[in-house]
Amino acid sequence: MTEVIFDKAFFSPETLKKAGYRFIDQFSVEFSSTEQSYVCRLIFKTNKTTEAIAALVKDFRNEVLDQDLRERIKQETEPVRNLILAHAFSKTSLVPHE
Amino acid sequence: MLSNFVGEYKILQREKLYSFARHQLPADDSDYIDLRAKQFLLDDSNSIAPQLLSIKTRTKYSRLADFTALHIFVVSLRCEHSCPYCQVSRQSEDRDSFDMTEEVADRSLELTFQSPSQNIKIEFQGGESLLNFDLIKYIVVQAKKINEKVNKHLGFVIATNLAPVTHEMLLFCKEHDIVISTSLDGPSDLHNKNRPRPGKNSYEKAIEGIRLVREVLGQDKVSALMTTTEASLNRVKDIIDEYIKNDFDGIFLRHLSPYGFAIKTKSYRAYSTERWLDFYKEGLQYIIELNKMGVPFREYYACTILSKMLTNSDPGFVDLMNPSGMGIAAIVYNYDGSVHPSDESRMLAEMGDNTFRMGNVLENTYEEIFSSEALVKPLEESFTLSAPMCSDCAFESFCGADPVYHYATSKDFLAKKPESDFCHRNMSIFKYLICLMEEDPYVKRLFFRWAHRS
Repeated sequence: MTEVIFDKAFFSPETLKKAGYRFIDQFSVEFSSTEQSYVCRLIFKTNKTTEAIAALVKDFRNEVLDQDLRERIKQETEPVRNLILAHAFSKTSLVPHE
Repeated sequence: MLSNFVGEYKILQREKLYSFARHQLPADDSDYIDLRAKQFLLDDSNSIAPQLLSIKTRTKYSRLADFTALHIFVVSLRCEHSCPYCQVSRQSEDRDSFDMTEEVADRSLELTFQSPSQNIKIEFQGGESLLNFDLIKYIVVQAKKINEKVNKHLGFVIATNLAPVTHEMLLFCKEHDIVISTSLDGPSDLHNKNRPRPGKNSYEKAIEGIRLVREVLGQDKVSALMTTTEASLNRVKDIIDEYIKNDFDGIFLRHLSPYGFAIKTKSYRAYSTERWLDFYKEGLQYIIELNKMGVPFREYYACTILSKMLTNSDPGFVDLMNPSGMGIAAIVYNYDGSVHPSDESRMLAEMGDNTFRMGNVLENTYEEIFSSEALVKPLEESFTLSAPMCSDCAFESFCGADPVYHYATSKDFLAKKPESDFCHRNMSIFKYLICLMEEDPYVKRLFFRWAHRS
């Protein structure tokens, strides 16, 4: 088991869960929190070398950052995304026309 | 490089960029005037800029609502070639298992004409499509009959290796204004190595077929596509010379895609993105030199990108669209009735991955197929303006989402762009094209003509 700690000021539990899910084939994650941090305990499915664990922890941290940015940018750009996608489908019979 | 929402770009020296960012660039500076003309900045003298930019944006996205113009009918998976990089073909005589039936074709045509697009292009693909030519004839006649009532701009393309083509087939094509798209990988030795068939004469068949098509249909009724294999990498000039020798006015220098047998036979991993970029750049340099010597010739991938860079209209190239062109620009009706949003996604399906399967023409309605999760989810998740790195990338307007490629390589519709070969390859090409234009006024004029197809 390996602990990975994230500052609560920068990441949400949803982001950590999404990132953890991506590694479900390699390890499971046990979540807990302190006043300032989220603690992720990575429980590996099979025995791993120290190097392999370090590489997976690095990948997990990258995935958390990626998921965090995906979520934030997705929220920020929701109006333009919805507008453009709606425009794409606007002439189809999928969209009710008056 | 700065770019605006519609893909107009401006190169600024670093000091000028800082000065611009600090709002300190003098109003009489030539770069200031340029930036104002392209609506990068708003001052008292151009209050109309937001409206101008919105008109350009509307123009850029106008084709997007022209929902599904390209309808691909996979009339047979059978083929007499056994190309190692081919994604789908089967060497089989079993017509019942691998040919599209009239029932599937009829239902696919019903769906085709439910598309709101006023322009409908039906493309026949395989396998080798001409091995089921009777069905092609049936579909063309039926489509024209349906179109008598709806009066759309209807066109037909047959994608074929031309080995089975006959004079009679081409007379039918002439009667119905059908154009031909074929494969030409380069000179005889390279083409025959890439494209094995019984008789080892794929090249000879293709060249004879091209001659016959031109004789019956006309000079401009046949186009050719090449695929880059490991054996092509040192032969780009030979390949281009082959196209010139056969009177083509351009070439599409294509890399291999990570689908189907290309993965299975390891041909996809036979060369790196860097190696392909060297091949591409060498080819493009050669084409520019040819133009300088008075030989008009184009590279079509560059033409597509330049059209996005230098005009306000989008060429609608599926790989370089955001939202992705899958389902929106093109749709595939497979021989067995399954519907896929792109040719690449049906190739994934042939390898057993049905992530993008939107339904079946015999079981589902238009509404069920086009509102399926298999289409809507990847379109939304891969949207580049909402993606880390893409959302603030200066090249975003030139690029595309391509969820099928990213799913095939990383099982993620969006993927992490720093790890994406698609991102690396396209960013490298964008930068290269801009550098070439900035360094040489002749190239800038040439590329402007390519962008405007003049």
